[in-house]
Amino acid sequence: MTTLKFQCRHSASASFQLDVEFECSSPAAALFGPSGGGKTTILETIAGLRAVDCAHVELNGRVLTDTTQGVFIPLHRRRTGMVFQDHRLFPHLSVEQNLRYGLRRLSGDVKPLDFDRVVSVLDLRPLLRRNPRRISGGERQRTALGRALLSNPELLLLDEPLSALDETLKDRILSYIERVIGEWSIPMLLVSHSQAEIRRLAQWVYVIEEGRLLGEGAPEDALTQPGALGWKDALAPVNVLRIDRIEPAGDLFAGVVGGQRLLLPPEAAMRPAPVYVRFSPSSILLSRHDVQDVSARNHLRGVVRKIIELPEACFLSIDAGQIIWAEVTHQACRDLGVEPGVELVCLIKTHSLKLID
Amino acid sequence: MNLTPMEWSAVWISLKTALTAVLISLPFAIAAGYALARIRTRWKALLETIVFLPLVLPPVVTGYLLLIAVGRHGPIGSWLDAWLGWRIAFTWMAAALASAVVSFPLMVRSIRIAFQGVDRRLEMAARNLGASRLDAFFTVSFPLAARGVIAGAVLGFARALSEFGATIMVAGNVENETQTIPLAIYSLVQRPHGVQQSWRLVFLSILLACTALAVSELLEPKRDAHDDA
Repeated sequence: MTTLKFQCRHSASASFQLDVEFECSSPAAALFGPSGGGKTTILETIAGLRAVDCAHVELNGRVLTDTTQGVFIPLHRRRTGMVFQDHRLFPHLSVEQNLRYGLRRLSGDVKPLDFDRVVSVLDLRPLLRRNPRRISGGERQRTALGRALLSNPELLLLDEPLSALDETLKDRILSYIERVIGEWSIPMLLVSHSQAEIRRLAQWVYVIEEGRLLGEGAPEDALTQPGALGWKDALAPVNVLRIDRIEPAGDLFAGVVGGQRLLLPPEAAMRPAPVYVRFSPSSILLSRHDVQDVSARNHLRGVVRKIIELPEACFLSIDAGQIIWAEVTHQACRDLGVEPGVELVCLIKTHSLKLID
Repeated sequence: MNLTPMEWSAVWISLKTALTAVLISLPFAIAAGYALARIRTRWKALLETIVFLPLVLPPVVTGYLLLIAVGRHGPIGSWLDAWLGWRIAFTWMAAALASAVVSFPLMVRSIRIAFQGVDRRLEMAARNLGASRLDAFFTVSFPLAARGVIAGAVLGFARALSEFGATIMVAGNVENETQTIPLAIYSLVQRPHGVQQSWRLVFLSILLACTALAVSELLEPKRDAHDDA
């Protein structure tokens, strides 16, 4: 079990102060929040890349930084492998030499990962002899991931590893990261401002905004604290459902969510499970009773868990086996008599479902 | 172009002293160039002053100070004499030392620019992967700056070839011992019909200087010309 104890107070400028403290024992944790909130500073403090005013960082009982006692383990002995936003591959070395850079510098008592296995899990074999300047953005990020992995860190730090990539590439890299987590179970701390990323990868989330820790919890809960995020457009909840099994259903294909059938867009047939679908909370119709004569094909029954009232709308968290967020007007909320514990049917058009990956 | 024995000796001594000068000052120039590219504290101004002083000081003054230092009774000269039995002043080694000191700032300048062009974040990435500071320097920063370092060394070599003032002060103008091409041209011009006789060495000097400049220009790091990202 990995534990990370983190405590830091730092004045980066007159207007920005970081003051965050947490203790983390989740193997897959994430820091979530808008840009400029101090997430990257936290990672850099853990890795020792940044000197801060006051900090205590402890990884698995090993004190890495303690400003009060003057402890500062040199960065190369921290074993906190970082995947940077801008990949930072060495341009004078081949992809293979980049991958082996950390591997060659492992101290004797650390068991190295199998180089060939990492190469094949990340599909890097055809790139090994290439120069990192001449490969694509996604390939670079995969190489950077492999390089950090092969330095066999006690904690893998991922600093928005997908932000420089376009949407389709993001999804592919996400599944590579998932594979890595599955294969080696190296604990990771991910920085991201994308809910979809965090829902897929993290089991525990810290919400960071303006240098403060606003909340923590499982992704479904922590990502939906309205005061915290102000529900800024990009940060409002997104529905992401995980579908483990796909089966034919008439002309279409269906997945199973909490024992209920969810019809999927036709492309789903081509995909290996698990598949993730994503849809907006505003695309959901709610009903107290199941209605048969509507065009929406998906009727998911669930129980209201939480109601968040904002000036513009109400957000309902509905547990239908997986959490679904629905956005409705205050009027609708009142008329339906919605309160926690009430059973509702979520009507979702198959066409509003977008496949991720 | 048939050179006289005196001219041949001047060419040989010039090449020997210039090469030695570069070899002496290169490690220091790399250290100073790297430090100037990376240091951000108030010590930087002091270091800059010390490093670039020979660039603006009259070479004769530099030579005078060197003579005081390495002369037989000077602090360094007497020490070398007592412990190693070396007498440097008025030997070709003194000429090499003078050239080394005078060409040092030029080398540092090129090398500093080369290191400034190396993304510091790459060093950080190397450290994060388990490389010590020195390891990261030798495996990441130095290889990436290597072209600029060589360009600086070539420039320094050219400057060392043309050194006159400091050399004549600390090494004298001894034929077959310390007489480099510039000193030989000076001596020739003093003689009757010397101006006509010195054209071969003048031509050779221009040729060497042009070659060195061209080589250093070729090696000068081009701003990510091959980088497509």
